[in-house]
Amino acid sequence: MTSSEPAPPVVHLAFPPEPALLGTVRLVVGIVARKAGVDEEGVEDLKVAVSETCAVAVGDLTWAGLSTPIELDLVEEPDRFGVEVRDRAPAGEHAPNLPQDGEVDDRQFGLALVGALVDGLHSTALEGGGHSMRFWLRRSREGPPPLP
Amino acid sequence: MDLDLNVRKEGDHAVLAVGGEIDVYTAPKLREKLIELVSDGEYHLVVDLEKVDFLDSTGLGVLVGGLKRVRNHDGSLRLVCTQEKILKIFRITGLTKVFPIHSSVAEAISDTAE
Repeated sequence: MTSSEPAPPVVHLAFPPEPALLGTVRLVVGIVARKAGVDEEGVEDLKVAVSETCAVAVGDLTWAGLSTPIELDLVEEPDRFGVEVRDRAPAGEHAPNLPQDGEVDDRQFGLALVGALVDGLHSTALEGGGHSMRFWLRRSREGPPPLP
Repeated sequence: MDLDLNVRKEGDHAVLAVGGEIDVYTAPKLREKLIELVSDGEYHLVVDLEKVDFLDSTGLGVLVGGLKRVRNHDGSLRLVCTQEKILKIFRITGLTKVFPIHSSVAEAISDTAE
């Protein structure tokens, strides 16, 4: 492997789009991130970010009537801990933003939360349909983020 | 994964103690409880989040919905939370300006009375 190649995932999960599984996903993220040396605040931030991202994927897949699995990669790199969430929801198939009576738009709220908690956030459309959300957390969060 | 919801009365207030993880799976249970309380005429609510291990945007949305419901009856919804990881979620989303957040149930109730 050359230095330009992405690091292989430490953990790869594939799970059906069921809200009941998100607690287990958070548990795995917490264990792997702690083991990788991420501090407690970072672990909690990652759990929220992964859960929010997966919840969006669950909503989109359910809305599209699909049960194709959501894939999660946790990647340990020398200076950062990375996450990629992939789903196969068709492009443009978003769960409707219909807040319940008096509530707020969970999707926008959730994605705003993710953006605020992680150091980098990239969303891309996957060839053949679907989305990839990548983000990472620096191991040491003192000082400005490194250049991409 | 489950959500524990326990209601007790303290004077004019209904105190809803929440325990566990509030996410897209469990938040509907919290929503139902808040709707039930308001339907029962409880318009001054204190939601105790001290035993909440996790809170996501769906849970925030449910709390905002609860606040709007009690305000429709000139009521109040106050939160009790001292956990930094939960407070951080409220700060990031700007909801510390929307919800009164207290360090104890007693403080929340006495503040309403003032």
